[in-house]
Amino acid sequence: MLTLYHWEPNANSGKPMLALAEKGVEYESRYLDLLNFDQHQPEYLRINPDGTIPALVHGDRVLTESTPMMEYIDEQFDGPALRPKDAASRWRMRWWMRFFDAYLAPSLSMIGWSVFVGPAVRQRDQKELAAAIERIPLPSRRVAWRKAVFNEFTADELEESRRRVMFGIDVLEAHLTAHPWIAGESYSLGDINGFNLGYALPLSQPQHCNDALTPRIMEWLRRIYERPAARQTWAKGRTQLASRIGMLERR
Amino acid sequence: MLELYHWEPNTYFLKPLIALEEKEVSFLSRWFDPTSFEQLEPGFPVDTESRLQLEREGPLLVHDGTRVSGSFFMLEYIAEAFPGTELYPGDAFRHYRARAWGQVLAAIGADVSILGCARHLRPLLEQQDRRRLQSQLGRIEPVERRAAWEALLDGRYDARALSAIAERLAFSLRRIEGTLTGSRWLAGPDYSVADIDAFALIAPLPALAPEVLNATATPRIVEFLARMRERPAVRRALAYTRSGRPQQAFVPGAEPSRWG
Repeated sequence: MLTLYHWEPNANSGKPMLALAEKGVEYESRYLDLLNFDQHQPEYLRINPDGTIPALVHGDRVLTESTPMMEYIDEQFDGPALRPKDAASRWRMRWWMRFFDAYLAPSLSMIGWSVFVGPAVRQRDQKELAAAIERIPLPSRRVAWRKAVFNEFTADELEESRRRVMFGIDVLEAHLTAHPWIAGESYSLGDINGFNLGYALPLSQPQHCNDALTPRIMEWLRRIYERPAARQTWAKGRTQLASRIGMLERR
Repeated sequence: MLELYHWEPNTYFLKPLIALEEKEVSFLSRWFDPTSFEQLEPGFPVDTESRLQLEREGPLLVHDGTRVSGSFFMLEYIAEAFPGTELYPGDAFRHYRARAWGQVLAAIGADVSILGCARHLRPLLEQQDRRRLQSQLGRIEPVERRAAWEALLDGRYDARALSAIAERLAFSLRRIEGTLTGSRWLAGPDYSVADIDAFALIAPLPALAPEVLNATATPRIVEFLARMRERPAVRRALAYTRSGRPQQAFVPGAEPSRWG
């Protein structure tokens, strides 16, 4: 029995969704609405006491870290290999996944939370929101939600995030000029990771990520978008967040 | 040909030394002193990934021309590329657990590095001629890597900030303590890369933050550190020290979460 608790096919939730689709593995999908704090409700905290999503439950095994979760999916299940065979390419795949997770993602999500998540939840009753934040188990996530909900990002923090996103786009464009895929010669978990983070870059950063300035990134995103597994995964989206992927359609 | 560019056997630099000694692989030790900025000198191997240095300053493994940076992924590379002692034992779920610990420990490493730099590196930098130091720091690219050095001098890490970091560490250490209460090793019943990762990053804490790592608060971690020190490979790795005080050797490490 395999169950995936996830939000939209986007960022961390989308990583195991796309990896499972690529492997052709069936799973029970449990959608949690991140903006409704479903992930902090008692029934989910029984699965993952940290209250973070996604979580993959495979028999009596519970996995809650999305990037290592993808390696588990590749190693555990039959289907096309999603990691290169040689140690050097695997190292490159993992290094770039850390670059996405630790460098680009926090900056992109800070911008995303300030313009999307924060305003979306800020409409609600303030007392109710404060209580919902207090229920968040991990102190670091509590701080993050408080900042997003109450718009506590400083101008300097947001400016630094914008600078890092621009720098990250340049670095990624250079990498994809030297290699067709993140790990080198073959499609891998590195591409799945990067796509989940970057599929909407042409929409959110149109002045920095476009056909004229970053043709390699654009081509890479479209190649992944055209994979049946990506189509299948993004069709599971319920909000405008996931539908942004349509802009990768070739015209 | 296998070369390891490293400094004193502590934190990030200690990890590949232990793994290579566990594997009993012969390698060329290329010693450099990052506090003298020897990693910026011409001739030091560099590529996109090592220049970006997500861990700010760290070791570099060069294997038949392939440059491997990032200390946890270096452990995985050594585990996969060389025969010898199995450093990634068990099934897919144990491998997952080792990698998941790698993520938790990356955050711990960031905090340990700040405590260590504030205690040991900052006084060394403050003794230097400020203009000469600024000129050396000005050569560091990208800007985040330079900023990690400059942060030691701008007063950001005052007593309050360091105390908040120690508190954050206490939270993570409780998780390690909980796991070690039911198991000798972090990722399962067998020794793995996760144990090397943990030892390298938290071994300096009994001296740096005794209030969060001690025989009363974290007895299982204290036993784990002692168990690690008994391993011949760990002893050989620690013997690479030139100062005799490897656990005081700190340079800026990975960046703590920018979300606070």
